[in-house]
Amino acid sequence: MLSIRNATVKFEAADGTEIHALDRVSFDIPPDSIVVALGASGCGKSTLLNAIAGFQSLTEGQILIDGLPVDKPGGDRGVVFQKDTLLPWSNVLDNVALGLRYRGVPKLERYRQARELLQLVGLSDFETKPPYELSGGMRQRVGIARALATDPKILLMDEPFGALDSLTRENMQQLLATVWAKTRKQVFFITHSIEEALALGTHILVMSPRPGRIVARYEADFVRTFAATGDLGPILSHPRFVSLREEIRSIIHTPASHNERHAA
Amino acid sequence: MSAVIEPAVAISEVKRQRTQQPRRIKKTHGTAVISFATLIGLLALWIIATKYHFASALFLPSPSDVAVQAVAVASEGYANGTLLDHILASLGRIGVALAFGIGLGIPVGLLMGLNRWAKGILGVPIDIYWGLPPLAYLPLMIIWLGIGEASKIVLLSLAAFAPICFAAQAGVRSVPQERINAARSLGATSYQVFTSIIFPSALPEIFTGVRIAIGATLSTLVAAELIAAQSGVGYMIMSAANFLATDVVFVGLIVIAIFAFAFATGMRFLENRIAPWKGKL
Repeated sequence: MLSIRNATVKFEAADGTEIHALDRVSFDIPPDSIVVALGASGCGKSTLLNAIAGFQSLTEGQILIDGLPVDKPGGDRGVVFQKDTLLPWSNVLDNVALGLRYRGVPKLERYRQARELLQLVGLSDFETKPPYELSGGMRQRVGIARALATDPKILLMDEPFGALDSLTRENMQQLLATVWAKTRKQVFFITHSIEEALALGTHILVMSPRPGRIVARYEADFVRTFAATGDLGPILSHPRFVSLREEIRSIIHTPASHNERHAA
Repeated sequence: MSAVIEPAVAISEVKRQRTQQPRRIKKTHGTAVISFATLIGLLALWIIATKYHFASALFLPSPSDVAVQAVAVASEGYANGTLLDHILASLGRIGVALAFGIGLGIPVGLLMGLNRWAKGILGVPIDIYWGLPPLAYLPLMIIWLGIGEASKIVLLSLAAFAPICFAAQAGVRSVPQERINAARSLGATSYQVFTSIIFPSALPEIFTGVRIAIGATLSTLVAAELIAAQSGVGYMIMSAANFLATDVVFVGLIVIAIFAFAFATGMRFLENRIAPWKGKL
């Protein structure tokens, strides 16, 4: 299990003022969960993900994996970025196999594993293509397969579908729900879309900016239905979905909501 | 709504890009035809100007005179050597200088891009000499190294080194941080980040630097040969100019133009082979 304890990040901005990006954020990412951090831009959610990934060091607090503190990137935390970071000089298969290459896995074995993952994300026919010949959605599929290749404990996703058109985005959400149900990875997912957070999250952390902190926590299970049926339509109109959506909307749009709320 | 739909959409996207490509290729072919026609037109102008004596042969020799002279220079030689001797002398100097420029410029530039100390220390002398026109310090090189090959090789190597070094530095600095972060989160060591991410990401910039270096070396070479040499295409041009042998001057200029064109074409070919992703993603 991954635990975030009192995570605080302070920067010094170019003009010398101090930016309080994260303020004493604590939560757990339990097994078999998708924890979604939801908030407007500037609420520190990307800083939080970067800290968990090990790209950003904490001013105070700790990040623990199974009780052991981590402070640098590693293969136990796979990252899917908002803008895809595939290597343009490698084809799809080599991109997916990259992490295994770093580990010294022999070529045939890493290609075998990479092909399995490409099948999981529905890109088996594209393994010899260079990434720049793929659409945005397909590139993010490759990114997900690549992050899964090192068999991480947890998948960190930084607004991975934010740059996609709404139809592709819905397909990708469905893919993630399916992959999650199949692989049983823990997922930490960042978004500014309330609907995406509710459709995908088992745990939803609503964050507020300056300083970035958690102002409300929700639990939901729409993602299990989503993964099983593959149909988002009925979920979006479900009464409980609608009421949660409106509740979260009112929290996000209320300025300076400092009271941390808990809901079942 | 199933996951299969999206790849299908994407396939049609890939296909659409493919069908667009032939049209673009046709257009570049069109440009080539226009360029070729312009070349023919210039040649025709040259023939007409000399045929109707718009200018005396001393200023503008006719294309046939130049061709005859080219054959003569090639077979009998001019200024202590045949045309081939001069070409080989010039190409040899360029080759050695580029080897030094590439061999030193790439590692030093990469180091300066990666390390603040290296940049701080090495940046100063490079910035100082790069600001100077090479011909301004050629006399100094001759005083230090003599009139022989060494002074010219050092001069040309310096001309080639700086642009490659700057390009390699810029290449390192232009690597997207997210690409490096992605590699680190996949478990890459610092060495693996360098070999698998930083160096290939910097390659297109390095190519640009080498292309600039070739241009700089070529112009420095000819200038250096004009001033201080006993062989080379620049020396041949200068010797011919001293005797007002304008047709030989033209032969030399055409040879240099062919050099420049061949280098540019060769670089473009290499770049397409080694870094075909340039400008994409």
